[in-house]
Amino acid sequence: MEPEAQETPSRVPSDASPQWERPKAMRGVLPTLPLPSALRNPVVLMTIVGVAIVVVMFWRYWAGYDVTAATLLNATFIGIAVGALYAMYATGLVVVYTTTGIFNFAQGAIGVFCAFLFWELHVNRGWHTLLALFFVVLVFAPALGILLDVVLMRRLRTAPLVVQLMATVALMVLLLSLTGEIWEQDTIRRVDFFFGLQSSIEIFNVNILWHRLITIFTAIGLAIGLSFLLFRSRLGVAMRGVVDNRELAALNGVRPGLVSSSAWAIGSSLAALGGILIAPEVELDPTNLNIIIITAFAAATFGAIRSLPLTIVGALIIGLLRQHTITWLNFGSDFRFVSEAVAPVLLFIVVLALPRAQLTVGRLTTNLKQRERLTSPKEAIFGLAVLIFLALVFSKGWLNFGIWDPGEWGSAPLNSMNVAMGLAIMGLSLVPLTGWAGQINFAPLAFGGFGAFLYLKLAGIGGTNSGYWILLVAVLAAPLGALVAIPASRLRGLYLALASMAFAQAMAMLFFPHSAIIPSTAVGVQFGPIRLFGITFSERESYFMLLVSVFAVIVFALVLLRRSRYGRRWVALNDSQAASATVGVSVNLTKVIVYAISASIAAVGGAFWATSNGSLEGVRSFDVINGLEIVLLMAAAGVSIPLAGIFLIFRPVFEGLTERLYDLGNVDWLAQFFDVLTTFGPGLLALGMVINQRGAVYEMGRGFSPILPWRKDAREEISREWAQKRDTEFGELGIASPFTANEIITLDRRLGITDQVTPPGGYTTGVNGSENNGSEGSGSAGGNTSGDNTSGNTTSGSD
Amino acid sequence: MTSLLSVESVDMRFGGVQALSDTNLKVDTGKITSLIGPNGAGKTTLFNVITGLLAPTSGRVYFKGWDITGLSVTRRSRLGIARTFQKLEAFNSLSARDNILVAAERRRRRDHSDHRRPADIADELLELIGLEDVADITVGTLPTGTARLVELARALALTPTLLLLDEPSSGLNEEETKAVANLLRKIVSDDLAVFLVEHDMNLVMDISTEIYVLDFGELIAHGNPEETQSDPKVRAAYLGSH
Repeated sequence: MEPEAQETPSRVPSDASPQWERPKAMRGVLPTLPLPSALRNPVVLMTIVGVAIVVVMFWRYWAGYDVTAATLLNATFIGIAVGALYAMYATGLVVVYTTTGIFNFAQGAIGVFCAFLFWELHVNRGWHTLLALFFVVLVFAPALGILLDVVLMRRLRTAPLVVQLMATVALMVLLLSLTGEIWEQDTIRRVDFFFGLQSSIEIFNVNILWHRLITIFTAIGLAIGLSFLLFRSRLGVAMRGVVDNRELAALNGVRPGLVSSSAWAIGSSLAALGGILIAPEVELDPTNLNIIIITAFAAATFGAIRSLPLTIVGALIIGLLRQHTITWLNFGSDFRFVSEAVAPVLLFIVVLALPRAQLTVGRLTTNLKQRERLTSPKEAIFGLAVLIFLALVFSKGWLNFGIWDPGEWGSAPLNSMNVAMGLAIMGLSLVPLTGWAGQINFAPLAFGGFGAFLYLKLAGIGGTNSGYWILLVAVLAAPLGALVAIPASRLRGLYLALASMAFAQAMAMLFFPHSAIIPSTAVGVQFGPIRLFGITFSERESYFMLLVSVFAVIVFALVLLRRSRYGRRWVALNDSQAASATVGVSVNLTKVIVYAISASIAAVGGAFWATSNGSLEGVRSFDVINGLEIVLLMAAAGVSIPLAGIFLIFRPVFEGLTERLYDLGNVDWLAQFFDVLTTFGPGLLALGMVINQRGAVYEMGRGFSPILPWRKDAREEISREWAQKRDTEFGELGIASPFTANEIITLDRRLGITDQVTPPGGYTTGVNGSENNGSEGSGSAGGNTSGDNTSGNTTSGSD
Repeated sequence: MTSLLSVESVDMRFGGVQALSDTNLKVDTGKITSLIGPNGAGKTTLFNVITGLLAPTSGRVYFKGWDITGLSVTRRSRLGIARTFQKLEAFNSLSARDNILVAAERRRRRDHSDHRRPADIADELLELIGLEDVADITVGTLPTGTARLVELARALALTPTLLLLDEPSSGLNEEETKAVANLLRKIVSDDLAVFLVEHDMNLVMDISTEIYVLDFGELIAHGNPEETQSDPKVRAAYLGSH
């Protein structure tokens, strides 16, 4: 005899099981860093920093440095003031992240734009300070925040993390280029300190600017106000409720839309205030102002992007460390950016120290695929042959479309094309790493720059360089990738993105500027042409063809890799780490391999970039923000598709085109259009990801593949899709064609009929029903003509 | 004779929640052993401890007589432990065939006469489980029941000695469930032990050789299906009349 209750649990859906039986974080592969919990106490942290500063001070004093109370006080005071500014940015970031789940990379860019707007109103148009401040901080910025929320950010709530990240990064790039377009960067703009440089008060022989004093008091006021808002007010309770459980909060009458808009309004206001107050401290320059965001990220990570007090402490620590580094330490010109490296290095350390579990169950990206179709080697060869042919036509100027003159086009623009091809190869490095293994990497330029540095050391400057050096560069760069993989394998998602960002910025501040890495003699000196297979690629045209061929070879190798066991493992790892481990795939080793391969590809790109560029001058500008354009374009084009790398020639192609159109003279409107497109294109493309998450190349491929004679399956899929689309439209409402089961369900739902009017035999669930409908419909071109009404469908569903 | 798997005095605590307390059980080859219990009894937790996704608070896990408590998930799978998950953990962006291939490429050869290539194994399993039609479809777009079968095929591709199945029948219709039951009876052998967590009592009583009953982290009963069904403690647990 059976216990009666046995029937009850037997059909319980698996989702109904209690949470604790299935902890999200599972035991990892690497041990977590032993971090005493005391380090998460703000007082302890501040004490450690204070002691460190005192120790350094004494050391400098004994080393004969002039240490006075005034310098100490001054440095501490400025440090706190600057830290207060970082705190404004960072708390805005935290408020938005905790309530909406979106990490806003554009926080700094919003501050930049608002600071310029303030300059425009106050300095240029002579508005009163308070009026301009009121308008920008309390009217414009909140409005911008709400607009962003309504138009963009709400759509991102359920989007895959890569899309979320790329959308705000795109927004950052767009806002920066918009700022650059509106306020042309050929004049130097200044925003004065409030009350000027003269008005200061003297405390203990130290002149303290009113501006900085106000900054500190504003920050204290904001901190108190924010905690009051979050913990005392109705809105704050709602905000925190939404974080805990969105659905439950909605049931209790909280409107999630109102909450997220408020969060964005507050976040933007804080960014605007921070931007305006920090503008006098640095020059009013979009890039300089925007890079402050790294500091804000570091501060926010101190509080795991959740805790406001820890975030503020983090901001103060960075401010103090930075200012005291400037005051007491001097590492010479090789390490002239040490004070700027404080924030990225701290960001890197803090991200790694955060207690994070590794073997998380579940996916990073939602799945949108229908059927798996990998590019076959034959198809790849065909596609790459077309690419090489187009490159040949282009470089020889055989086809000029009446627009470009081969003579001119063949010289300067071709050179920038060559530089861009180096970037395109670096872009390919993201395909296995981000596209397949799901490891977000914002530092492709850092790996590329490392390749350029290796090439410089191996091949040297001047004379002809053997192409085999580049192979050696690839081999030597792999260990760097493997080294980065070790900390990276502890991280996932957003934290991985932040860590890679910190890595890139630390490389840009500490590694590349060092004279032992890139000596001053390497600047402006030409790299010799590459010699390979007995051919010296000294002409721009032949060199361009070499680059395209190398690109093609790497794309082909990637296509083969994706079809290999390694490619499968990378994708599997991205889908489920826990399942990968249980089928015997070593999570760590797999990550090390993919990072090593990615680093090799990027380094090859860097070596070619150096040769194209002629010198290593540009490596100094290999910072995060410049690297983001590669990431952005790859993501927009489709980072899981190798051929998407070709999108990185976007800039020189459009710039060249714009130039030619201006030269022609009579089509200025078109030229202007392309000009705007060149400036805003990458950002707009990436924003397009919100709608089309799989990237442009994927959609292009889908549209193009039915033309290929051997792609019968693609044609079938298109016709099936069309048939399905027709099915879901009501059309003649069952007069000309019978209703299908799905249509009845949809109709019931639209009309709000809740009682179950089941058709004879009952209809099956949506998943099975549509599956059968789709596969049957393909045969007879249109499911609505097949099947004798609903019964036909139900019988097919139950067998 | 030592058992294939033996769990000895395993304790598992999550903060204040005692998920498993002093759990002892043995699983042998040639048998289908089931673990049943109400929701939240700690069944999946025990599976996670056996596969290494969770480290027990105390106690040891032995496999083929070796202490595997400290081994990584990957190492354990290389020793011959395979599993499926309660909430699907198939590789959603890979095709069904590739899902199986990933495991087949990491399988442990049982003996040296086994020269099958991963691709052969994939074909065999696709046929055995009846997945030929969906071999090239991305698993993320398959119905749950089918995806569950893919997960089962993937576990089998490792040629395991111990197969842990976490609610294999959930999301499956009656016929698919019957097919899975038949399949399990067919594959269980001197080289393979099947250990399953299951809510479908008809299935459990139908195929199990041995049953363990877990309630609030404690084993309350153990025996063959008949014994278990008549055990008053089991009935109390299910009726909730403590």
